[in-house]
Amino acid sequence: MVNLEDLKKEAKTVLEEGKVKYIIGYEKSANGLMPVPGFIKSPEEVEKLIWTPACVYNLTKFLVDEKRRKSREKKPDERPVGLVVKGCDSRALVVLLQEKFINRDDVFIIGVSCEETGVIDEKKLIKKLKGKKAEKIEFDEKDNFIVTTQEGKVKIAASEVLAERCLECKANSPVIYDVLLGEKAKRSVDNPFQSLEKIESLPERERWKFWKEQLSKCIRCYACRSVCPMCYCDECVADTINFAVTADTTAEEKAQKIKWLEKSPVKSENFVYHLVRAIHLAGRCIDCGECERVCPLDIPIRFLNKKLEKDAKELFDYEAGFDPEQPSLVSSFKDEDPEDFIR
Amino acid sequence: MKRTGVFICHCGINIAGTVDVKKAAKELAKHKGVVHSEEYVYMCSDPGQNLIIDAIKEKKLDNVVIACCSPTLHETTFRNAAKSAGINTFQCEIANIREQCSWVHKDMNKATDKAIKITKSAVERVRRNESLEPISVPVTRRALVIGGGIAGIQSALDLANSGFEVVLVERSPSIGGHMIQLSETFPTLDCSQCILTPKMVEVSKHPKIKLMTYSEVQEVSGYVGNFKVKILKKPTYVDPDKCTLCDECSKVCPVLVSNEFDLGLTGRRAIYIPFPQAIPATYTLDIKGCPGLLPIACGKCADVCEPEAIDYDMKPEIVEEEVGAIIVTTGYDLYDKENMAEYGYGKYADVLDGLQFERLCSASGPTMGKILRPSDHKEPKEVVFIQCVGSRDPELHCAYCSKICCMYTAKHAMLYKHHVHDGQAYIFYIDIRSGGKGYEEFVQRAVEEDGVLYLRGKVSKIFEDKGKIKVWGVDTLSGKDIEIDADMVVLATAMRPSKGAEELAKKLKIAMDKDGFLSEAHPKLRPVESVTSGMFLAGAAQAPKDIPEAVAQASGAAAKAIAILSQDRLYHAPTVAKVNLNLCTGCGMCVEVCPYEALSLKDGKVEVNEVLCEGCGTCSATCLRAAIQVKNLTPLQVHEMISISLGG
Amino acid sequence: MAEEFEPKIVAFLCKWCSSAGSDLAGVSRMEYPPNVVPIQVMCSGSVSPLYVLSAFNKGADGVLVSGCHPGDCHYIKGNFYARRRIALVKRLLDFIGLEPQRFQMSWVSAAEGTKYTQIIKDFVQELKPLGPQTKLRRDL
Repeated sequence: MVNLEDLKKEAKTVLEEGKVKYIIGYEKSANGLMPVPGFIKSPEEVEKLIWTPACVYNLTKFLVDEKRRKSREKKPDERPVGLVVKGCDSRALVVLLQEKFINRDDVFIIGVSCEETGVIDEKKLIKKLKGKKAEKIEFDEKDNFIVTTQEGKVKIAASEVLAERCLECKANSPVIYDVLLGEKAKRSVDNPFQSLEKIESLPERERWKFWKEQLSKCIRCYACRSVCPMCYCDECVADTINFAVTADTTAEEKAQKIKWLEKSPVKSENFVYHLVRAIHLAGRCIDCGECERVCPLDIPIRFLNKKLEKDAKELFDYEAGFDPEQPSLVSSFKDEDPEDFIR
Repeated sequence: MKRTGVFICHCGINIAGTVDVKKAAKELAKHKGVVHSEEYVYMCSDPGQNLIIDAIKEKKLDNVVIACCSPTLHETTFRNAAKSAGINTFQCEIANIREQCSWVHKDMNKATDKAIKITKSAVERVRRNESLEPISVPVTRRALVIGGGIAGIQSALDLANSGFEVVLVERSPSIGGHMIQLSETFPTLDCSQCILTPKMVEVSKHPKIKLMTYSEVQEVSGYVGNFKVKILKKPTYVDPDKCTLCDECSKVCPVLVSNEFDLGLTGRRAIYIPFPQAIPATYTLDIKGCPGLLPIACGKCADVCEPEAIDYDMKPEIVEEEVGAIIVTTGYDLYDKENMAEYGYGKYADVLDGLQFERLCSASGPTMGKILRPSDHKEPKEVVFIQCVGSRDPELHCAYCSKICCMYTAKHAMLYKHHVHDGQAYIFYIDIRSGGKGYEEFVQRAVEEDGVLYLRGKVSKIFEDKGKIKVWGVDTLSGKDIEIDADMVVLATAMRPSKGAEELAKKLKIAMDKDGFLSEAHPKLRPVESVTSGMFLAGAAQAPKDIPEAVAQASGAAAKAIAILSQDRLYHAPTVAKVNLNLCTGCGMCVEVCPYEALSLKDGKVEVNEVLCEGCGTCSATCLRAAIQVKNLTPLQVHEMISISLGG
Repeated sequence: MAEEFEPKIVAFLCKWCSSAGSDLAGVSRMEYPPNVVPIQVMCSGSVSPLYVLSAFNKGADGVLVSGCHPGDCHYIKGNFYARRRIALVKRLLDFIGLEPQRFQMSWVSAAEGTKYTQIIKDFVQELKPLGPQTKLRRDL
C-alpha cells in the first residue's frame, strides 16, 4: 500500500530543492469521492495531494497542455514538471517519449504503484452502493476497498468495483520513473483480453448489431478525443481539415480541405470517426480507459482500442508503452509478418 | 476555377471498339471545370498532338487529361506536347482507358461507364496538380563496380576506357571470379584463363581503375550521381609492393586448409596466392587459418621473407569513396552440398560438382589436366553427368532453370572423351536447352563426334558399391530402367546468387526477386538497371547466365552508367514529399519508414531531402497528422478520385 | 426480372507492380468484369487507412489494395508497411461486423496479368451475394 505521506515527502523534497517547476497530482475535490487534478506549485501545497483508489485520471494529458503553454512563453521556466503516474499512465508517457512529443528532461516522474490492486470504476461503485453516497475510499488489503458513506464504512471486494482495465492490467507498477512509491508487485491477469474476446466471439451479424447500436448513440462530443493523451494533434483529421491555415494559406487551399467524414452524428459518420480514432491509436493506446470513462453515452470505446492492441500483440508481438526506443507499430515491420490474408 | 481540356483517343478500334468515345467526350464536357472535350482517332499521332496544343492555346486551358493507353507508354509524349503549348508538364495527366478498360471488357455500356469514371478521376487529379520543375543535382564522375568476376572486369574496363575513373571492389584476394576456375569454355573450347587473364592484366595496369581486392562494401549512402561508399579493406598482412612472389613463405607455413580455388580438391597454406596469375600478384595471409598474430604464435613466414613484405601489424582499413554510379556484379555460387545429399554430393569423393570437374580438366588444376578420380587417382572409364541438379525443381529446390548447365555438361562430356578416349560419358537430362550462337551445333558434336550417351530421365538413386558409384535411373524415351556402374558422377548443380549478395542488396537498397537474384527495373526494357536509380546490374547476380551474356550485360550496364556520368547535372522527378510544418509534431514515424533516408528531424520537425526522395508516399500513409504528402498525388487528390470513382 | 446487383469496387494499385500487372491483363486481352475502378498510387505503402474507410463511406461495395510481392517492391519495403497496416485495418473492420470479403489485399506483380484477372473475377463473384454495402456508406 503506497503511503500518502511518502508521496507528500517526495513531492515536498523536489519542490523545496527547486528541481521541478510544479507537480501535477491528484487533489481532493469539493464534491466527495472523486479527486481533481491538482497543480502543486509550492512545498506548502503538497498537503493537498491525495492517493486513493479513486485517482483514476491519466494525468499525462496535462503534459500536452504544458508543452503548448511553454511554447508560447517568451522566457519559459526550463525546469521539468513533476508528474504523478500510475503504471498505465507511465506507459502513456513512454509512448509520448517514443513519439518525441515529450522530452525525458522535461518531466520528473513520480511513479505510484497500484501494487496488487487498481483504481475504481465510479459507475460500478455507485451501482454497488445502491444510492448511498460515498465520501471516502481507501485501499484495504489487495482484495478489498473500504468505502465510507454517511451510513458508515463498508468493505467491498475490489474485484467488484475495480475498473475493467485494471482487471486486465499489464503494468500495475510504473515502467518508467524518477522515484517510485510502492512495490513492483504484479497482479496476475490470466487474460488481458477477456472482455474483448466475448465480443470477438460473437457471429458477424451480432458484432455488427452490437456496434451499430453502440456507435449510433455517439453524439460526437469528442470527449474521448479530448481526454486521450495520444490525441495531441493540433488539428484532427476528423475535423475535415487537411492543413493548418496560416498567413500564407490561399483561398484555394482553404477550399481544398479534405472532408473525410461529415460532422453529423449519424451512424455512418460515427463509424468512420471511431474507426479512424482507433486506427490512429494502433500501437499507441495503452488502455488507460479514459476515453470510455468520459463517454456520456457509455459507448464501450475500449473494445475498439483493445482489438487493435490484441492484434498488434498476436500478429506482430508488439506492445505499446514499454520501450521508448522501439520503433512504432506501423513504422516498423518484420519479414515474417503474417500475410495469410493476402491473395 | 481551373480550365481543363479532355482528349479521348480512339486508338483506332482498340478503345473505340469497346468504349463509346463520343458519349464519353460528351459526358466529360459536362464535368465541372472541363471547358473542352473531344475525341480523335489517334491522339499520339502528330495531328492528334496538335489538337491538344491548339486547344491549350486557343481555349487557354490550365491543364489537360488524355484518355488513352497506359501512362507507361505515352505519358512523356503528351506531357511534352503540353509543355510545347506553354503549360507545365505536370498539368497533363493520363487516364488509362485501354489496358485497364477497353481491352479487358466486352460490354460497351459498362466499359464506357468505367472509362468515364477513370477519365473524370484523372480530371479531379490534374486540377489539383502543382506545376513542378525537375530537381537538378551535380554528378560525381566516377563509378564503383562491386565484384571482380568477368562481368565486373568488363564493366570496369568499359567505364575506364571511356575516360571515367572506376573503383573495382572484390572481396577475395584476386579478381577473376568463377571464370578463372574454368578449363575451356563452350562452344569454342577457348581456354578460359587464356582469354580472361589479358583482361585482368589490363585492369591491374589501367590508370583509371582503382582496384581494391580483399575488400567489401560496408555502407552506401547518397543518391544517383552522388553516392558515398564506405569500403572495408581487410588486412592481407603482405605488402604487395614488396612481395616478390618467391613462395618461400608458403613453403614454411605449417597450416594446411582446403583450397577454395580448387573447390576443396587440394589444400593450400594459410599464406598463399590463390593461383599463379592472380591480380594483384601478391600473397595473402588468411587469418582464419593462421595460428595467430596476437600474440604471434608462429611467425615463420615473416622469418623467411627476405624483402620483409609481411607486416603482422596491418589493420583493417575503411576507405571512403564518392561515386556517381554503381554496378553490382556479385555473381553466383553453386547450390550448397548440404541440399543435395540424395546424390551423394559431399558424401562420396567421386561425386563432383561442375566447378570441381572444371578444375580436374584444367591444365593448371590439381591433376595437371588429367581426369582422375579424387578417391584413388585412377582414370574413370564410366562417367555419369546429371543435369538439373537442384534446378527446375519447385517442390524441393530451385524453381528456375540455371541456364548454363546443358551447355557445360555437353562440354564436360566432350572434354572427358578428349582426355579418356576409351571412356564412356552418360548424361541424364530433362531436356536440352541449347539456344545460342553455335550452341546446338556444339551439343550435336558431343553426341555425334564424341559418342556421348544422352539419357532422358531422372536419376532415382546413387550409392557406392564395391569401389563403383551405382547410378539408378530411368530412360523415359525407351521406358527402360538404367543401371550404371560409374567411376565418377558429375552434378550440374543449380546456380544461386552468391553468398552475401542479400546483405549487400540491403545495404544498396536494391530489390531481390523471390530466388534472391537482384531485380532489374523492367524485365524487358530495363534489364541492366536496378529499381534504384544510379545502380546497375550485370552478370549472374541478376539471373543465371553464361559468359557472353554476362559480358554483354556488363557492357550494357557500363553504357547506362556512362549515360549518368557524362551529364553535367542530373534531373530528378519533383514529385517528392512535402511537409506541412504546422501539423508536424516531429514524432519521426515517417523518418523510420522512409526507404531512402530522405527524411530527417530538424528542430523537432521533419525535413525532406528532395534529392533522395523517390515519392513513394509511405510517409504520408504513416503520418497520423496528415503533415506529409507527396506532391501531385496528395490525400486530397486521392480523396477526390475515390469520390468520383464511386459516382461523385 | 430485377437486374443483377453489380458491386462497385475501388482498387488501389501500386504503379510498378499491380497497375503494370493490370496493364498486362489488358495487353493479353484477358477479360474481367468492369466493376472495378482502378486508382493508381505510387506504392501500396502509401495507401492510408483513411483511403479505405473513405471508399466504403462513399459507397464502395468492395475495396482492393494491391502491391508488389514481398521483396519485389519498387520502393524496397513500402509493401511491408502496407501489409502490417492493412492487416490491422482488415481485422478491425471484421471486428465491427463488416463482411470480411469486402476488403481484400493482394500481391500482383507486373507479370501477373492472369492473377489480377482472377482476383477481380473472384472479388466480384464474392461480393454479388452480399448485396450493397450499407454499413459504412454515408447515410445522410
